[in-house]
Amino acid sequence: MSDVLIDALGLGKAYPKVHRSADRLRALGRLLLGRAGTDAQHVLRNVDLKVLRGQSLGVVGENGAGKSTLLKLITGVLTPTTGTVTVNGSVGALLELGAGFHPEYSGRDNVAMAAALHGLHADEMQSRLPAIVEFADIGNYIDEPVKHYSSGMIVRLGFAVIASLKPDVLITDEVLAVGDESFQKKCVRWMEAYLADGGTLLLVSHSMYHVQKLCRQAVWLRHGEVAQCGDVHDVTQAYLAWHERKANGAAPARAAAAGNEFSVESIEINGVRGEAPTLVSSGDRVHVRARLRSREGRVPVAMFGIVRADGTPVYGVSSEMDGVEPERDGDAFIAEIEFTDLALLPGSYGLRVHALDSEGLRMFDTDERTLTVRGESREFGLLRLPHRWGRAENRHD
Amino acid sequence: MKAARLAAHFIRRELRERYRGSFTGFGWALLQPLLQLAIYAFVFVQIFKARVPGVDAPGYVPFLVVALWPWIAFSEAILRSTTAIQDNAALIGKVALPREMLVLAPCSASFLLHACGFVAVLLVLAVSGHGIALEMIPLAVLLYLPLFALAFGIALLCAAVQVFVRDLVQILGQLLTLVMFASPVFYDRSLLPEQYRHLLDLNPFTFYIEGFRSLLLGYGQVRWEATLVALVIAAATLLFGHWVFRRLDPHFEDFL
Repeated sequence: MSDVLIDALGLGKAYPKVHRSADRLRALGRLLLGRAGTDAQHVLRNVDLKVLRGQSLGVVGENGAGKSTLLKLITGVLTPTTGTVTVNGSVGALLELGAGFHPEYSGRDNVAMAAALHGLHADEMQSRLPAIVEFADIGNYIDEPVKHYSSGMIVRLGFAVIASLKPDVLITDEVLAVGDESFQKKCVRWMEAYLADGGTLLLVSHSMYHVQKLCRQAVWLRHGEVAQCGDVHDVTQAYLAWHERKANGAAPARAAAAGNEFSVESIEINGVRGEAPTLVSSGDRVHVRARLRSREGRVPVAMFGIVRADGTPVYGVSSEMDGVEPERDGDAFIAEIEFTDLALLPGSYGLRVHALDSEGLRMFDTDERTLTVRGESREFGLLRLPHRWGRAENRHD
Repeated sequence: MKAARLAAHFIRRELRERYRGSFTGFGWALLQPLLQLAIYAFVFVQIFKARVPGVDAPGYVPFLVVALWPWIAFSEAILRSTTAIQDNAALIGKVALPREMLVLAPCSASFLLHACGFVAVLLVLAVSGHGIALEMIPLAVLLYLPLFALAFGIALLCAAVQVFVRDLVQILGQLLTLVMFASPVFYDRSLLPEQYRHLLDLNPFTFYIEGFRSLLLGYGQVRWEATLVALVIAAATLLFGHWVFRRLDPHFEDFL
């Protein structure tokens, strides 16, 4: 079954700017006359999205990127300003933690209300109530007004209700962030089982761990537009790299180095020259060839380094450390290095080449290329360290 | 089917919420208009010595009762419904639901409660020999239907506009008091100076007061044309209110 469950075309949402009461009155008049075109704040623009039955889609993006707005449009809570969205199936949504509970009512009443909203009979809900209470693990609190609940309890009850409804599409917005460790695990387990049963999931989360664990596709929203859409690992890596670059500020500007005593003239990675990012995979061979210049003809020391996109050094080595010298090539020098069996985990890295003086004491020039390591991995960190599983004593023989 | 179930649920919830935390519970529904009746009866009968004009005129109390209960249902329904969308902003922002339900619930609840109180008071009056036409009670209850349509239409309109213009509910409280005195709740049409009498017909609520009095007390006559006009007005108000509501509905979230 690969029918389209959610189909969004050119979806956009703009909130009207209303600062004064007079604006509201004017907006009312305009809407009644059927005229649009108030001063508006665009939060989502031209989003095309197709979700097939059985897909699991993670929605990532920084705060204010339009993730919640997108979910609200899909659930039908918001009406799109432009474009259309069609949903062919029942939707269970947990938006912004509240789950639409009324604070004055007891948990039991709110569950009944949620059931009615999903078109369930009251007695049908009654029979499911014990299972819901058990899943939410809130015990006697079910008869207390929801205003006495902790935020974790509200989310737990909300999730339990949706879980018992088993909708065609499950839409959750940062639900896992609030629950405690054991409830998170319970939710993740439930969602995995739900997906295995052919359920469809839309997950908004700032935890890339959860997104990668639960989703196979991901969409990255940036300033209300789709920045990238596709395989979850590609999208989350690109997204994280973007964050790292952002945290790092602008990339270090390449100094006007041509006049320096020592400078980097060009870099060639795996035989390709140019500024485009190089795509490699974990375990690949990466060959770097750098052309260095020396104003006075002295042999420079070449240093190669790999940094994470945020500037964290991963590894660096110079020709002087390893006791080699760049080869003379006319009036320039060539330094070549090969990283065999690249141990970097998937992600975005910077490959830097530095030109140092002949003693390897002073750095005169730096140039950088982007190295993107592709692949799917849920391991943590930067490197895959050689490892084996099993008892330690086996190693002694 | 799903909509009906949802409506029933919302109305039940509304009824429960209204008297939750109060000792007398549903008793209030009857007690509150009774207290109003007692005050009005005292002021008008004991102080102003009000009497209903006419030879076979009913007593002032039954005369007041058959107008006061429908008025309370009508005005309370509108006043409570007006803030329905605004009050449920949290729900609207999180759950997709037909928003008319949120207006329908307080509106229906008011009518249900006060229609029940109405019948109860009529029965008491009948038993204590105030000349109520018992056999007309079902017909009188039927008359609540167009009145409900009228109230629901106005409620939809007000609830939608209230989202944009928050002053509405303040104005509405004053306006409803004005409408009450501008309809023959406390007096009879014949007490007005000749040249002002026809102005009462501009008030849609006038028809219902005279209708109830004619049905239950046999006081006055209601012409067929008036009934027809009232039905058309009720239907038109409902349609217009719904049209405005539908029109503004997609934008509620933006202005709440």
